Amino acid sequence: MDRAWLELPGFRGLLLRLGLLTTLQAGAVMLQALGLAAAVATLFHGGTGAEAALGLALFGGGWCVRHTLIWLERRTADRFAERTAEALRVRLTETFFHMGPVAAAREGSGRLVTLAMDGIDRVRVYLELAIPRVIGMAVGTTLLIAAVAWLDAVSALILAVSLPVLIAFFILMGLAARRQADRQWQSHRLLAHHFTDALRGLRTLRELGRSRAHGRTVEAVSEQHRGATMRLLRVAFLSSFTLDFFSMLAVAFVAVGLGLRLIDGAIGLERALAVLVLAPEVFVPVRMLGTDYHASLDGKEAWADARRILDERRRPGGGASDQDGRPGVPLSDEREGETPASASPVGADACGVRARSPIRPFVVPPARVDRGVLPDLPSLHDVGVDGEDGPRLTGIRAELPPQALRIGIVGASGSGKSTLLDVLSGFVRPDRGELRLDGRTPGISEVESWQRRIAYIPQQPYLFARTLADNVRFYAPEAQDEEVRAAIEAANLGPLLRQLPDGLEARIGEGGRALSGGQAQRVALARALVGGRSTVLLDEPTAHLDIETEWELKATILQALHGKRMFIATHRLHWMADMDWVWVMERGRLVEAGTPAQLLERRGRYYSMLTNREEEGRDDIHIDRQAR
Amino acid sequence: MTFTSTGRRGSGRAASQTRAARRGSTAKLALAALLGLGALLCAAALLYTSGHLISSSALRPENVLMVYVPIVLVRTFGFGKAVMQYLERLAGHSAALRVLSSLRGRLYRLVEPLAARPRSRVRTGDMLGLMAEDIERVQQLLLRFALPALIAAAAYTVGIAAIGRLDPGFAVFMACYAGYLLLGAPALALLGGRERRRRARQARRRAYTELTDAVFGMQDWMLSGRTREWLARFAEQRRHAAALEGGLRRRAWRMHWLSQCLSGVAIILLSLWAGGLAQQGAIGPTWIAAIALAGMPLLEALIRSGDATARVTDDAAALRRLRDTELEGERLAADDARSAAEAAAADAALAGHEVDGHAAGHPCELRLERVCYRYPGETGDTLRDLELHAPPGKRIAVLGRSGAGKSTLLSLLQGELAPTAGRALLGGHPLWAGADSQAHCAVLGQQPHLFDTTLAANIRIGRPEADDAAVMRAVRLAGLEPLVESLPMGLRTRVLEGGRRFSGGERQRIALARVILLDRPIVLLDEPAVGLDPRTEQALLRTLLQALEGRTLIWVTHHLTGMEAMDEIVFIDEGAITLRGTHRQLLQSSAHYRRLYRLDRPAAG
Repeated sequence: MDRAWLELPGFRGLLLRLGLLTTLQAGAVMLQALGLAAAVATLFHGGTGAEAALGLALFGGGWCVRHTLIWLERRTADRFAERTAEALRVRLTETFFHMGPVAAAREGSGRLVTLAMDGIDRVRVYLELAIPRVIGMAVGTTLLIAAVAWLDAVSALILAVSLPVLIAFFILMGLAARRQADRQWQSHRLLAHHFTDALRGLRTLRELGRSRAHGRTVEAVSEQHRGATMRLLRVAFLSSFTLDFFSMLAVAFVAVGLGLRLIDGAIGLERALAVLVLAPEVFVPVRMLGTDYHASLDGKEAWADARRILDERRRPGGGASDQDGRPGVPLSDEREGETPASASPVGADACGVRARSPIRPFVVPPARVDRGVLPDLPSLHDVGVDGEDGPRLTGIRAELPPQALRIGIVGASGSGKSTLLDVLSGFVRPDRGELRLDGRTPGISEVESWQRRIAYIPQQPYLFARTLADNVRFYAPEAQDEEVRAAIEAANLGPLLRQLPDGLEARIGEGGRALSGGQAQRVALARALVGGRSTVLLDEPTAHLDIETEWELKATILQALHGKRMFIATHRLHWMADMDWVWVMERGRLVEAGTPAQLLERRGRYYSMLTNREEEGRDDIHIDRQAR
Repeated sequence: MTFTSTGRRGSGRAASQTRAARRGSTAKLALAALLGLGALLCAAALLYTSGHLISSSALRPENVLMVYVPIVLVRTFGFGKAVMQYLERLAGHSAALRVLSSLRGRLYRLVEPLAARPRSRVRTGDMLGLMAEDIERVQQLLLRFALPALIAAAAYTVGIAAIGRLDPGFAVFMACYAGYLLLGAPALALLGGRERRRRARQARRRAYTELTDAVFGMQDWMLSGRTREWLARFAEQRRHAAALEGGLRRRAWRMHWLSQCLSGVAIILLSLWAGGLAQQGAIGPTWIAAIALAGMPLLEALIRSGDATARVTDDAAALRRLRDTELEGERLAADDARSAAEAAAADAALAGHEVDGHAAGHPCELRLERVCYRYPGETGDTLRDLELHAPPGKRIAVLGRSGAGKSTLLSLLQGELAPTAGRALLGGHPLWAGADSQAHCAVLGQQPHLFDTTLAANIRIGRPEADDAAVMRAVRLAGLEPLVESLPMGLRTRVLEGGRRFSGGERQRIALARVILLDRPIVLLDEPAVGLDPRTEQALLRTLLQALEGRTLIWVTHHLTGMEAMDEIVFIDEGAITLRGTHRQLLQSSAHYRRLYRLDRPAAG
């Protein structure tokens, strides 16, 4: 019995229905036993088949009714479990969005997907099995013993006494097995994992020339594992052995007792037979509980895990892991009114113009001209963000000159570059201070509409398991093919597009055509161009690429994002020469800001980063000395 | 775990051992089935003798001793059933685990030669992890399906035979009747739900992809402002999938219900038949109850095996996947054998050449002469006319875009692939010697696997016999000393699964220590610093170049850091070398190179 059941909607009704079905089942079992006993007794006393027909019909009817009731019970429990699990699944996925991408990544994105799919399936199995079993145990067993008592008190006594003994032994044996398993857990885990480990490391083994020799170890360890498992199972199976053994013993006792009293004439054959048929039925619920208990354990765990995630999000402001997880996008908010395209001042035609003059690689982008002042100028006011181990951002105060369109954020890894981008994008709401847009503090719905005016290009952009076109028009699904094509050309994906036999309709992402890192970046870039988003955030877009691809991609990005405001967080300093404004981050603080030329002139940290790149290992000391 | 070698044995002996193991496990499985049948018969006999006992007692015998034998039998059967069932489960698991052991060994031997080959299905660790899971599923298949089915078939045979002794006509009838439970119901369960199962699987896969897209692409979903649209669609999809899956479950229960009702009717028929026999005087009236009761557990066994069939399809898919992997392994082994013969012929021809002045050179001299490589079934060459010469100690950097052929080049140098044209030579002999080739070089890859064992065992993995001093020296050279000293258990610290305990840079250093300890004259580096932050990258590369001083180095890299220390820099594009020279030469002669260099060193330009 799980306390959490009581909170499930509709649980009381289910309890009532299942209780009723279990009671009826006990009645049917009784009917079936009495019928069979009557028929056999009639036949035994030399009656004809016709005379026994009533008894047999009773038996057959009881049998069929019983199995119909079992069927109904399963359906009832299943419908309830399915409804509960599906509702839980939907709530859980909603919660994922409430958590936001940063908190979700911390929980482990893959783990969350597995929990919401396989985990919730197991929760369904758990509810479907556990609830009827507990009721069967509580109601069914009692009723059946009462039925036996009505027929024969002595037999009922034997059963009633053996039942707790049996349960006690069952639990004892289970505990013994658990203790042994705990003792051997470490070595057992190692043995069990060995083969997977060997396979995952097979390439490494092969490269070290050890893979052949390791093959013999694999089989030897597998055999060791078998030995260890069998030792464990010898104890583990004892618990179900006790169930079997004691129930059999009890039935045998009942049978012998009945036999002896029959000889005395203390009981009639028909009644004795009925008791004999009923006796094993008394143990059916407890045995089913024993079998299904283990089958549903992992479902119970998954349920607890899901509830933990739901609870953490529900609690306002509580818990350390909640800090980054405050709703980035409140789902309850109304937002049907506006369309993303109309919210943006930079029209889609900007892409169209560029498409007609596709850029060539190795061409430095043209000088930046005709800079109008874009709205949505973000500024940060004493922003602080806490992480699990200390603050990630502290006292960030940053304003930009209105005409600054290309903003570079530089710093060593762990200096807070990415967190700064997360604050700018609204994925993380600061714990202290605030983000302002054009000097105003945005409300929740304004943050939301701000999010629909920005695009985000991470180091490894996610490609959806859809067509190339759908990936590109992800932010603006209503975009026409021409606009998509224009964006693809602007992102210099044209050569790829022409290679694809299905063109725009070619599937990419999981299960589709594999793209290289550079191509994936270009898809993300094209995505940012469709729908006229005015601001683009880039998080380390090129560092992991080979240097030639990096060079080409840089040219494309600068060209394609011309006229938009871009923030780029990177440790690749070559970007900075093309920036209008540079923020230098150091251990969660903004230590320098200005145009690249100004910063060079200052001969501060930016300057030392640029000139001492190869000495980065010793940078810390260097910079600290300079700071003092 | 034990990574130490257990000594070399002939492969023929290993094969015969596998066969023996398979025979052993078949025997064990049969034993388990027998025990299961025994348990079942005990259960039947228990009810049978109790029915008989009660009926005999009802005749009011003069003496209790008249029913003494049945009394003892009742107890014996009760005890016997519990014991046999216990033994059956043990024997079944033991047999299944034995099958798993030999399956693991066999699959390992098959995929082992493919692991480092580009474009092989089993190259990635994840793919192989899936295979390990598939093997576990074989256990389920054996225990949940094969064993109950065997027992049910045996129970069926015994039951029908028992009836047949008394009344052959009725036996034929019951054989057909119970035959539905044994074969008909499972067949219906398998065939009938096929289309529905396929649709349910499809719906499930779609929901999985959908959710993966949502969680991994969450940033884009939020920015697109379409989260609610997604949630609504997902809920709708789940409703659809849940309806399909629920339909399948309810279908299985309907079938179960039908089987149960049929078995109830069977018991009625058995009682009527026994009553008829008793009237004819063929059996004593005391056996009527016995026969009716004994039928129950036997019929139950048939139903149980039928229920198991419906759940078997997923496990069967795992079995199919394993079979596919096995076939690929066998096909590639055959390919290798063919190429090996060709290579041997080429080598023989080469041996002839050597006489006329073509010196074999130093045994560690690497030379690629007009090497081409084309993957089977492709129309274009992945590598074209590659010339590379590396006398001992030379350091060559290889650069190129993804897909330029860098990993194919490395596989050629490792001797995993044989050139389709031209020659790849080590000390004048072909590099490639088939699947049996022993590694002549050490490789430091992008994501070296750390095994779930101690740090020391991980470093020793390439040379298990290395002594502690050698390990310590490798640790020192790899710059791991501070890390090892910071660990309370030192070198005996367990590396958790996949090396989660260590950072990316530390993992690479552990792998570097392996390579140092292995002490091979040639080291191939496959972008060992990719994905590391610049500071860690710098430090690692510094250590790496220092520690591997004096060895031949082929270094595939994505940045220009460290190029000053290279003897030759080679750019590959679409399988051919487009640019080569030393750092100084290239800086002078190539504008392209200068541009790239400025990316890495913005202050230098």
